[in-house]
Amino acid sequence: MRIEYRIFATSAFNVTLIILVGIFALHTLNVMLTKQRVVEIADDLNTSFLEMRISEKNYLLYNKKSALFDIKNKIDTTMKSIGSVSSDISRAIGEDNLTLLKTHLAKYSDIVEHIRSHERTEELQTALRTEGKNLKDFSETIALMERKQVNNIITNSKRALFLSFCVILYSAVIVSHFLSRKIVMQLRQIERCAIAISKGNFRKIEDVQAKNETESIFNCIYWIKRFWEHIDYIRQPKDEVESVINAINCMSGELSNREEALLQSKKLASMGILTAGVAHELTNPLNNISMIAQTYEEAYDKLSIDDRVKFMRTIGEETERIRRIVRNLLDFSKPKEANLKEADINTVIKKTLTLVQNMLDISNIKTKLNLEEVLPKLLVDDYQMQQVFLNLITNAVQAMSPGEELSISSRLGRNRDSVEIAIMDSGGGICPEIIPHIFDPFFSTKGEGGTGLGLSVSYGIIEKHNGAIRVKSKPGSGTTFTIELPVYNG
Amino acid sequence: MDSYRIMVIDDEKIVGNMAKLSLELDGYMVETFLNAGLALDRLKEQKFDVVVTDLVMTGIDGVEVVRTVDKLYPETKVIIITAFANIDTVLSTLEAEIHDCFPKPVKMRELKESIHRALKKG
Repeated sequence: MRIEYRIFATSAFNVTLIILVGIFALHTLNVMLTKQRVVEIADDLNTSFLEMRISEKNYLLYNKKSALFDIKNKIDTTMKSIGSVSSDISRAIGEDNLTLLKTHLAKYSDIVEHIRSHERTEELQTALRTEGKNLKDFSETIALMERKQVNNIITNSKRALFLSFCVILYSAVIVSHFLSRKIVMQLRQIERCAIAISKGNFRKIEDVQAKNETESIFNCIYWIKRFWEHIDYIRQPKDEVESVINAINCMSGELSNREEALLQSKKLASMGILTAGVAHELTNPLNNISMIAQTYEEAYDKLSIDDRVKFMRTIGEETERIRRIVRNLLDFSKPKEANLKEADINTVIKKTLTLVQNMLDISNIKTKLNLEEVLPKLLVDDYQMQQVFLNLITNAVQAMSPGEELSISSRLGRNRDSVEIAIMDSGGGICPEIIPHIFDPFFSTKGEGGTGLGLSVSYGIIEKHNGAIRVKSKPGSGTTFTIELPVYNG
Repeated sequence: MDSYRIMVIDDEKIVGNMAKLSLELDGYMVETFLNAGLALDRLKEQKFDVVVTDLVMTGIDGVEVVRTVDKLYPETKVIIITAFANIDTVLSTLEAEIHDCFPKPVKMRELKESIHRALKKG
């Protein structure tokens, strides 16, 4: 369900509950009001009867005719008011009781009438008193009954209101919780996608699933009809999260296509540079061979046997030079898949040093090692890493004069999630204008000796290891190459 | 008659050596240099009739040699031998200042014929 709908449902449910509570409360109030009204009526009746009794007493004590008159009036008024609210009263105390009340009142009225028109007799007086008392008792009972009823209603209402409040609160909490949990889950999904993307993870998000077979087939046909075949199949989104996921998948697809296209064009550009570079690099040894051959031919009879042999040997050497250049080119354009294995980088450094010890001795270069003893393991192809160290050490040696010192160090990186290896020489340094170019293929400052491919191959290897290589140099004070490699997290 | 003096400038040792060998067979006096700086210094001391130079060298490159010679020693002819792929670009840029331009690998016979023509012109 769409998040939008869920939120709407939760709100609607809560509002409905509130309305229900409101209606219930109003109803209860209404009932109480009605009862209250009846209580008022009963009270009024009571008061009327009380007044009647007072007049009755007046008459009986002081024998005032006017008292009788009062009573008569009172009775009439009471009869009238009973009449006007008879429906309320009958609702409150029942039809039977109402009839009974009327009967009693009528009887009382009769007696009073009798006394007024005839003589006041002992019998009649007693009857008056008795009937009066009956009426009063009757009305008191009614009033009491009403009051008790009202009290009951109030108590019941209180209880019912409280209960319903609890039930409503409980169900509101449960339902809201349930609905919002789903929303939170959907939001978490989006968050996970965002995190994955921020990590550079451009793979498609496969979280979405077809609700049932027919739905997925329908979607498939629908979208294939609408889009060209090279745009991927997207499901009809069932909620906002799916819309986002679809959009992200589209974007991933686009990005991945563009990345490939970019890679291709970069490769082509590289190849262009490479080919130009190679052409240039190869022409020199080829020209050398050519010139030796032509001169050999031209001056054959004037050359000593020694010279002739030397010429041929030189041709051989130049051929070797060509081979090396071609070999480097192959290395560069088809970088070997790194065979990554867990390794201790200090071991690799030390192994490389044994390989170059000879060169170091011949050039009379001292080595200063500053390798941190306990380093986390790294994931490296140790043959390729040796190549990189070899390249850097060779460059360093070539930059220095005899007697100078080569310094190699290894340590934990600043963020503790990488290892830094530094190779520092005290040679002539690199000019700042040249520094941005040193990793370019075929860039060389060595003239005849260098092919210019060593550092660019090293750069490629370090890239394949998800590491970084940096250079710091000052003309006159030497150069430091720093390699940073990520720690292997098992 | 004094022999003609030819200077060969190329950072590849073999080029100088072979050129010297071959040209000396024809009776020229040849001096070779691996470094244009040293070559230009030598030119200050001694006049040369032809300078044969590569274009791409570390330090002072062939273009600077061409321009310097053209400015300071207008009678000295300059011939370029280069591994550079695009000969036409070279020709169009330096046409006025050079006598000729050859791609590497150089055909010695053609080079020698060009030197001969250059000397005849002088």
